[in-house]
Amino acid sequence: MSNKIGVYICHCGNNISEYVDVERVKESVKNEEGVFIARTTMFACADSAQTEIIDDIKNNALDGIVIASCSPKLHLQTFREVAKRAGLNPYNYVQVNIREQGSWAHSNDPEGATEKSIGLVKAGIARTRVSKSLEPLTIPAKNIVLIIGAGIAGMRAAIELAEMGTKVYIIEREHFVGGRLSQWGVLCSLNETGKELISRIYKRLKELDNITLFTGADLISKTGSSGNFEVEIKITPRYVKSKCDPESLKNAIEACPVEVTDEFNFHLTKRKAIFKNFESEFPEAPVINMEDCTRCGDCLKHCDSIDLDQKTEIIKLKIGAIQVCTGFDPYEPKEGEFGYKTIDNVITLQQFKRLVELNKDQLLFKGKEIHNIALIYCVGSRQFGKINGSNQYCSRYCCTVAIHSSLVVGKKYNDIHCLHFTRGVRTYGKQELIYDEASQKGDIFFHFDENTPPTIEKSGSKTIVKVNDVYTDQIELGVEADLVVLVSGMVPRKNNSSVEILKTPVGRDGFLNEIHPKLRPVETVIDGVFISGAAQGPKNIEETVNSTLSAASKVNAMICREEIKLEPTIAKINEDTCEWCGKCSETCPFEAISQITHNGKQIASIITTNCKGCGICTPVCPVDAIDVIGYTNVEIENMIMSLAK
Amino acid sequence: MEKIDLEFSKSLKKYGAVDISPCFNCGNCTAICSLSTEDNSFPRKMLRYSILGLQDRISSSVDPWLCYYCGECSETCPKEANPGELMMALRRFLVAQYDWTGLARKFYTSKIWEMGAILFLALIILAIFVVFHGPLTTELTAEGGVKLNTFAPWHQIHIGDWIMAGFLAFFLLSNVFNMYLKILRNDKKIKIPFRLYFTELISLVRNFITQERIKDCEKGKVYWLIHLLLMSGYVILFTMIVGFLGWFQTDNIYEWWHPQRLLGYYATFGLLVGCVYFFIGRIKKDKELNKHSHYTDWTFLVLLFFTTLTGILLHFFRIYGMPMATYYMYVIHLMVLFPMLMIEVPFSKWSHLAYRPVAIYFSNVLNKAKELQKS
Repeated sequence: MSNKIGVYICHCGNNISEYVDVERVKESVKNEEGVFIARTTMFACADSAQTEIIDDIKNNALDGIVIASCSPKLHLQTFREVAKRAGLNPYNYVQVNIREQGSWAHSNDPEGATEKSIGLVKAGIARTRVSKSLEPLTIPAKNIVLIIGAGIAGMRAAIELAEMGTKVYIIEREHFVGGRLSQWGVLCSLNETGKELISRIYKRLKELDNITLFTGADLISKTGSSGNFEVEIKITPRYVKSKCDPESLKNAIEACPVEVTDEFNFHLTKRKAIFKNFESEFPEAPVINMEDCTRCGDCLKHCDSIDLDQKTEIIKLKIGAIQVCTGFDPYEPKEGEFGYKTIDNVITLQQFKRLVELNKDQLLFKGKEIHNIALIYCVGSRQFGKINGSNQYCSRYCCTVAIHSSLVVGKKYNDIHCLHFTRGVRTYGKQELIYDEASQKGDIFFHFDENTPPTIEKSGSKTIVKVNDVYTDQIELGVEADLVVLVSGMVPRKNNSSVEILKTPVGRDGFLNEIHPKLRPVETVIDGVFISGAAQGPKNIEETVNSTLSAASKVNAMICREEIKLEPTIAKINEDTCEWCGKCSETCPFEAISQITHNGKQIASIITTNCKGCGICTPVCPVDAIDVIGYTNVEIENMIMSLAK
Repeated sequence: MEKIDLEFSKSLKKYGAVDISPCFNCGNCTAICSLSTEDNSFPRKMLRYSILGLQDRISSSVDPWLCYYCGECSETCPKEANPGELMMALRRFLVAQYDWTGLARKFYTSKIWEMGAILFLALIILAIFVVFHGPLTTELTAEGGVKLNTFAPWHQIHIGDWIMAGFLAFFLLSNVFNMYLKILRNDKKIKIPFRLYFTELISLVRNFITQERIKDCEKGKVYWLIHLLLMSGYVILFTMIVGFLGWFQTDNIYEWWHPQRLLGYYATFGLLVGCVYFFIGRIKKDKELNKHSHYTDWTFLVLLFFTTLTGILLHFFRIYGMPMATYYMYVIHLMVLFPMLMIEVPFSKWSHLAYRPVAIYFSNVLNKAKELQKS
């Protein structure tokens, strides 16, 4: 309740005063009930004006202020701080927007604009008269984070968070860490391979006591809210005990009679049912894939570390925040797309990377030595309008990887020609240097139009790539290629269970959506759930690590004090009148209303940490039992009454 | 479908093309070129053809001849792919393409072949003189000059001249015919009305005499003037030797204002100034056009310079009555002159005296024909 109110009408330079008669507004409202002081000011947000307001509050012991100026989006916090500095509760401050809603909206009608502004200010005063002092809500939070995905993004975030003092659980769906990065060889602008980078990070991760890693682990449920989540993790066993003799294990792998195509090498090679993707892979013990295993028992004869009776476990964890680092899948071309799967020497960029990794001195594919390599760019990226569910985005990393691969094969093998069929090379930033290097070394770049993509044809035993080259007057050129590499981009992870369970929104492209791409790039609308890396959209390794560190610091900032401060302006249930019909709970977009037993009857209850104070529940309540604090029915009614006078 | 030839740009290097692979097709070279037009846009297109090895397109293209190598394109190229030098190399490549004997390709791509041929021709001259020379008389004329025509009677030399001129004309014209087939008969879809060959003939004559297109090139008037001096000097001397040897190679010593002497001095001056100017340029490498000298550029310049120098010495030895010096110098002069004409004119750098004006002529005919076909 405020009875000594200060009212300030801002000129905003002449943004407001050009159309609104600021002096008349002041004169019209100065005698309103409860108004003690009414002033005009050139810029209410200016330092000098703020000091004057503070002095007014202190000198006159004002118990409420109204500032009629711009949108609260711009300066609500500014003036709340002014109130605080003067010793006034910030919730006894009301902002009236007479710039966007007054002068700017009615620049053709200064008289009307002035009248409207007078009405709005009076309504603001009416609201202030019944405003209450409020304090921010504080809820306890656990300084523990769950990181989903142990690729470069997840592991890097885990280390950073652990070093900042947050306890980390990191879960990985596969049985080995490293994600996509461990599949790539030497990385662009480094002399290090993806594997080496992952080993380095993994070793650091194991040194930190407050990180717990689960492999073969999948999130299956989540309850609770920001600061206090409870999650269930399903852990599939490796069927191999962690400590075992390497020699006998090797024999066990050899003994396994099952052979399936190897997804780590994108089906270029075969692996056994018991396997490791590569020698130095972490964790060190191999794994048995039970979908492939026939339980024949051959491996058991060689190694007693194998235990086919290990059971799937479900564990429960209590955590404060979740960081999602689930990464991407490479786009797999459709059958027949640029000859994929229909012409024998057409492979994807990811397969090509593995092929180069697997071939030492000679580049062989299906037993044939490769000299001419044709790389077709933008496969599965930048598809506009033609294909249903097309990927309109640019996958950002593929141009660089394709050109870098060309440099790698040029150095590794003799007599290699790389021909790049592009839609414009996007080796942005420092990556431009490798584009330059590739063209210096004699790589040829072609430019094709989206509507006339190159065609791959088989002519006898030869594979011919045909293109209408923009750089050569669109004439049709043809070249024989020993290997055609489809430079395929990124798509969202398939079967990403965390999306379903966490209810993180996804965009039309299927990648996770942040709140605001520029201002809040790693937060989601689900409080306490953060996203980073390629799960959010195509990113290269640098960008992935940038975003994951950013998310890690947001996570830490939220939970490190072990309490979370929330806006007090949330919904409140009147326990006496509420009769639990459930309508409010159905309407709530944030799952912030639960059903509880109170004094022997069923009523609705607000989950403080989930409620955003949107107010959508108030109109649906048939018995008017819900109020939004700070925007109570009384306040709103008072405003309406004032305007209707 | 046109087939890409990945080896072509490597083979082009023998003709002097510096590394063109950095080109990323920005087209700055074409934008800056003052000779490039909408109908004939170069040099970017030629770079692209060269990188892709589209030999047919290059062989049938007139564009390299329309470039006078001001070097603006090479200076402007953000990737230092040297389009100007590529156009130069393509001209060498085209000379080799037009030449049906295959000798031009040999001379451009093998120093041994070129030097061997020069030496071979020089020795033939020497042998002829050793066997057939006239008496080495030390008796002087009444005016005190050497009796050169006693040592080498002009009417006999003249027969040799005609034979040589016949050779030159045969090879050069047959190569021009080859060029005609490649440029004008390549695209069967373009019908060229017969009268165009006559109406456009004027441009051939005008460009041969004035070389006015060089002036449009950014490198300026000085280059044009010196090139014109050199070229006119060469034409005058060639005409006097082949057409009027009796008048030119005389034992008389005329007054200084006599046309024979004036024309001779003018031509010598032109050749000398030209040679020295181009020598200095190629040594200083101060402009794009002389930064990258192919060995054939030097051969041509050295032969021309020595021809001029021996000619000057011969002249003075004769009029100042030094018989033996005159006879030796005469043989040396011919030993340089003969290989220079026989190798450079039909098979090497000097063939541009025919190919350049003919290219402009063909280009005009082709463009007119295309215009007619459109309307």
